[in-house]
Amino acid sequence: MLRVDGLQKRFGGLAAVQDLSFQVEAGEIFAIIGPNGAGKTTTLNMISGLLAPTAGRIELAGRDITEATSAERCHAGLGRAFQVVQPFPEMTVEENVMVGALYGKEGTPYAEARRRAEEALERSGLSALRAVPAEELTLLQEKRLEIARALATDPRVLLLDEVMAGLRPAEARLAVDLVREVRDRGVTVVFIEHVMPVVRDLADRVLVMDYGRPLASGSYRQVTADPRVVEAYLGRDDEEDEA
Amino acid sequence: MRRALPDLLWTLLLAVAVALAPTVLRALFAQASVSYLSIAANAISLAILALSWDLLARTGQLSLAHAAFYGAGAYSAAILAKVSGLPLVLGLPLAALVAALLALGLGSVTLRLKGIYFAIATLAFTEVLKAVVQELPTGLAGGSAGLNVPPLFRPHFVPGVMQRWEIAFQRNEAYFYVYGGLLVLAVVVSIVTQRTRLRAAFTAVRTNEEVAAVMGVRPARAKLLAFVLSSALVGMLGALEAMRLGSVIPDGTFAISTTVFALVTPIFGGLYTTLGPILGAGVLSAVEETLRRTFAEGYLIGYGVVLVASILFMPRGIVGLFTRLARRRSAPSASDTEEAG
Repeated sequence: MLRVDGLQKRFGGLAAVQDLSFQVEAGEIFAIIGPNGAGKTTTLNMISGLLAPTAGRIELAGRDITEATSAERCHAGLGRAFQVVQPFPEMTVEENVMVGALYGKEGTPYAEARRRAEEALERSGLSALRAVPAEELTLLQEKRLEIARALATDPRVLLLDEVMAGLRPAEARLAVDLVREVRDRGVTVVFIEHVMPVVRDLADRVLVMDYGRPLASGSYRQVTADPRVVEAYLGRDDEEDEA
Repeated sequence: MRRALPDLLWTLLLAVAVALAPTVLRALFAQASVSYLSIAANAISLAILALSWDLLARTGQLSLAHAAFYGAGAYSAAILAKVSGLPLVLGLPLAALVAALLALGLGSVTLRLKGIYFAIATLAFTEVLKAVVQELPTGLAGGSAGLNVPPLFRPHFVPGVMQRWEIAFQRNEAYFYVYGGLLVLAVVVSIVTQRTRLRAAFTAVRTNEEVAAVMGVRPARAKLLAFVLSSALVGMLGALEAMRLGSVIPDGTFAISTTVFALVTPIFGGLYTTLGPILGAGVLSAVEETLRRTFAEGYLIGYGVVLVASILFMPRGIVGLFTRLARRRSAPSASDTEEAG
């Protein structure tokens, strides 16, 4: 469903990402983990078109999207929730979601967009907050809004960047359920996460990155048993997995 | 699409007010209504200028090129009148077209510029366009001396039936209707962009272009559309003003003050609304007129003080002030906690 081939990003002399190749199957929940600065968010930014890769190729459902604009990728079925939540603060929750519903797929009639927005609000538990200005939401609600907006674009692949960061364990569990539910409806999920129990509970497969390169990949159990992964994590500060 | 009925009613109300104003003013003030109509046309002109600038600002493009499109429209109409025998009124659509095409060009180049860089590029564009117009063959654009523009209306004096002042009244009345019509058009454009899906795209692009793009909005398309609509409106205004004032001249027609009023008025009235620029134009015109009558000299200083004070005390303009008061009245505790937090 999503295929990344020989992806590389250089910032001046610094290689933020290199030799990165992986493939995510339809209906899979795929985790990308790694220490801070490993190049995870850079990778997502290249996939969603916010950063142009220095080299490499990105395919979505068999189509080369390496040169496509962010909007075109969205129309092709790529949804994205950001790590630093970025709602449109002047809009209400509903208006935020409507942006994705109206523009996520080209030529969506207004009534159809309304229906999709409604569904996204309901699935992410925001129906009751629809009229609230986005700037008044709590962090958990903002994270839900990030997901709701991405869902409203009707994605085939959903990219989630650390949606659990900053959530309390109980809140994180709700978010985990939400992600699972999204997958059960046929959306492929690629997520970056620091909270290891969440990765363990959710991920079908895990890719570990370090210094911009792939370090290991496989099931959660396989990668956490890999000595290179243990070293990468223990060798540097990794106090993130608090839950 | 949503709440279409109230919008329709407000627009109709505005159209009716424009249609009735000259008759009512004449009945109330007789000869004095001549200058009132002229003042009203000035206020409407400011409202159109402000609305068109606000339209562009809704996509986050804070332009300093309004004088350029105003001037391009004015010169298009002036040159058309000079070189062709076509009816003068065709200068209006031509002005819209020329301004729109220029906006498409400038807008494409400035797409990636943000904030102050965008502002500087658009300001430079104004100066370049002014210089280009000045350098055009004198036989075409009149060089730095400019061109005379024939009036759109020439009422004739009918001895015995009309009084002398009625010629001026008829002239001002006719212009007032055209200005009013252009204002109604600007209001309709503004409302349409506010009530259709364009609002979502414009606001999203203004708040966060990258996030908007990731959600499928095409920022380039939204920004260029706003630029074209905004410039076409202000281009027509420029043409109309040229016809009313009777001449175009590079320094006056491409005056930086046009750009300044275009942005100050909506900021004063309330950005990103239809009502704000109109209210702003009404209040600012009234303040300016009153000050001018009270202090013939240096009234602009007073005008400046009013502007600075209002921006200090009403950061979101007149509309923002009323919205805040209304919210405070309806939910005093909620707004208090909001401010405490």
